[in-house]
Amino acid sequence: MLSMKTVAIVDYGVSNIDSVRRAIEECGAHPIVTSSFRDLEKASHIILPGVGSFPVAMRNLRERRIVESLKEQVVAKKIPFLGICLGMQLLAATGEEGETTEGLSFISGTVRKFQPLSQDYRIPHIGWNSVIVVRDNPLFRNIDPASNFYFVHSYHLDCSNSEDVVARTPYCGEFVSSVMRDNVFGTQFHPEKSQKNGFQLLRNFLSI
Amino acid sequence: MLKIRIMPTLLFKDLGLVKGKGFDSWRRVGSVMQSIKVYNMREVDELIFLDISATDEGRRPDFVAIDELADECFMPLTVGGGVRALEDFEQLLKVGADKVAINTAAVEQMDLIAEAARTFGSQCVVVSIDARRVSQGKFRVFTHSGKILVDIGPVELARRSEQSGAGEILLTSIDRDGTMEGYDIDLIREVAGSVSVPVIASGGAGTYEDFVKAIEVGKASAVAAASIFHFTHQTPLGAKQFLASRGYEVRL
Amino acid sequence: MQCTSSQNPNNERSEEMIRYIKYCRRCVMPETKPDLLIDGEGVCSACRYYEHRKAVDWKKRGEELASILERFRSKSGDHYDCIIPVSGGKDSTFQTIRMLELGMNPLCVTATTDRLSTIGRKNIENLKNLGVDYIEVSTNPVVRRRINRIALTQIGDVSWPEHVAIFTIPVRIAVQLKVPLIIWGENSQNEYGGPAGDAQNNTLTRQWLEEFGGLLGLRVSDLIGQDGIKRSDLIQFFYPEDSELRRVGVTGLFLGYYLPWDGYQNALIAQASGFTSYHKTVEGSIVNYENLDNCQTGIHDYFKFLKYAFGRATDLACLHIRRQRLSREDAMNLVKAHDGKFPNQYLDCTLNDILDDIGMSMEEFVNVCDRFTNKKLFQCDTRGNLIKDRSGNLTKINYDNVVDEDRRDS
Repeated sequence: MLSMKTVAIVDYGVSNIDSVRRAIEECGAHPIVTSSFRDLEKASHIILPGVGSFPVAMRNLRERRIVESLKEQVVAKKIPFLGICLGMQLLAATGEEGETTEGLSFISGTVRKFQPLSQDYRIPHIGWNSVIVVRDNPLFRNIDPASNFYFVHSYHLDCSNSEDVVARTPYCGEFVSSVMRDNVFGTQFHPEKSQKNGFQLLRNFLSI
Repeated sequence: MLKIRIMPTLLFKDLGLVKGKGFDSWRRVGSVMQSIKVYNMREVDELIFLDISATDEGRRPDFVAIDELADECFMPLTVGGGVRALEDFEQLLKVGADKVAINTAAVEQMDLIAEAARTFGSQCVVVSIDARRVSQGKFRVFTHSGKILVDIGPVELARRSEQSGAGEILLTSIDRDGTMEGYDIDLIREVAGSVSVPVIASGGAGTYEDFVKAIEVGKASAVAAASIFHFTHQTPLGAKQFLASRGYEVRL
Repeated sequence: MQCTSSQNPNNERSEEMIRYIKYCRRCVMPETKPDLLIDGEGVCSACRYYEHRKAVDWKKRGEELASILERFRSKSGDHYDCIIPVSGGKDSTFQTIRMLELGMNPLCVTATTDRLSTIGRKNIENLKNLGVDYIEVSTNPVVRRRINRIALTQIGDVSWPEHVAIFTIPVRIAVQLKVPLIIWGENSQNEYGGPAGDAQNNTLTRQWLEEFGGLLGLRVSDLIGQDGIKRSDLIQFFYPEDSELRRVGVTGLFLGYYLPWDGYQNALIAQASGFTSYHKTVEGSIVNYENLDNCQTGIHDYFKFLKYAFGRATDLACLHIRRQRLSREDAMNLVKAHDGKFPNQYLDCTLNDILDDIGMSMEEFVNVCDRFTNKKLFQCDTRGNLIKDRSGNLTKINYDNVVDEDRRDS
């Protein structure tokens, strides 16, 4: 029963939290926007939303001492964890935006800026694009294999291990649009803004 | 492939939604909540909400009202009007906007673009440029909802904005706005050709063919429109079907 | 749900920042009404349009009407001369009386209303007894209730399906029975003020329907897929294609263009022919002779008030002011007393009756009300919540123009 699920949405000062909160509510679960360890401890699922810059985000996470809490819940206790957009990029080992920063290192890889192949490829990558699922996984159940989701970003996560890659999206070649490693999930797109498909994905996540 | 976006625009003035012609003769249209819900139902690609009296009235954005609207809005939302400070960006993003548009501030406080891009990321920063033809083939930017002429061309402003870190340009032809006589394709082409960030065409759409021109000739990445969706039987979905039939990638 | 406020730390609304509602100086309509324009002299477009009415050559218009009717009159008598969309109300009763007087053989068509009141049924029977053939088309009530609910929650208008049906069903019948001429009553844009070009318009085209037929941006096709509604459930709601309209040559005209339309006058004439009015002032209104058929109208009017700060009482007061039956001051008092009351009761029905019909709790209903309320127009407490009295009624921020003009731009 989704209504029994308490979902912690990490508040780290620079992100668009309200839409994620609203979306989780619409899914029938119970969202808490928080940065406190106690709340993270009680949650059945954790979401790290994302709008902002990598170095500023990591700094905020460290300042609020969230990094340790996350590592505790996610790595040690294996709570299902979803990073959205910047949240997915933060999963990486290294970020390249502005300065080189160490990420959460839940998924190994480097965050890089898009390199446009021609003038037709405008950066940031903004809009609806196909997410092509390359690997069986619980996030994309009951969703058509090449559905459109909403993206708005200039950077993407370059995964070191191809087994972590769940989906790719064509833009400036191809980039990784969704990842999974054990209980850690990431989507470069915004499921909370992707209407029917996005809500299905969130429900799938909450059912884990 | 990245799909072409069709974006209905909601203009808010004083107490409710309006539509105008050439940024004048404002006429009240239905309630905001109603419009947001209808577009939500229609699963439009993205929505733009602009409070066009905020700067005039020296007001900041109405965060409480926008919070309420964003709660009903399950699609990407760009909010603009009266944004003058970094705190405005922060608050708007917090209450549910995905992108924040600045217009007058982009001209009067160029630093704000860079500051916002640094703090929140370029992808959140939309610079909204309103322009008029002032003489043969020459355009000029206007601020304060089309009232104050600035001696800078839209191309120059767009370039400067991109350099400062803006992620997107919302380009509106004041002359064509509300007329449903077609976009100003020259304006779009000039600006889109001069930057490498996405450009959203706005002002004048009256038929689906206008969307095609904006994309094909103007090289816009997205098209914004208001009157065509309020006042004719044409719909965002109909527009996308038309574009698809012409071979363009759209989300259906 | 919070009211809008200026940016001060206590979230209190500071006096400086309130944008008061402007009202027409002649009637009592607020600027917030969609499509209304208040000009530089503070007079609204509806009042201005009414000024023009004095200059109209009604004799000429009457002749135009006569010649149109002649063109469509069936010579052989095996076709109806026209269709009159009717509800049994004062206007459609009047339209029918007039058409019969003008020698037309009409087919009267009703799109059944949602919750027909007792008096409404009586008036329909009365209309039939004027001496006309009559068709009533009812849509599937089970589906209709679902559509009503969707319309209420999605666009704040429980009467949306009714408006669609009223404007669509007679046109469908016109196409099906090959009766090209449809006699509508008034162009609401005329009386209630709309963009000038359209106020001159005297035929009901599909574009008019989209723009002014009260569709609020919602389209019939939007319903498909919601709450199990299928395309096959909506047959009666789909407007005929332009090609079908052209094939039959369907022309709708507004009777209100060809004669000096006046609702009260219509009521007098209708009453003389057996039309019954209500035994007291209808809730939320200031008269007893109109909007008597559908019990849901109370909710519809209430939502208009929540969105735009005016209700049925305002509409009527303005009509009577323009015709010099009411002074502005008296009108203001009537409006304050009756406009925008929480719709606990309307004619035979209680609010609970209607909510039961559409499967909504009172709590849900109040939530929907609050969501659609334009909080900039009503009084709120220091925490930004709407102030409601014991019966749930709201208070506007101002009921008439605020004297200090310099603070606001035009």
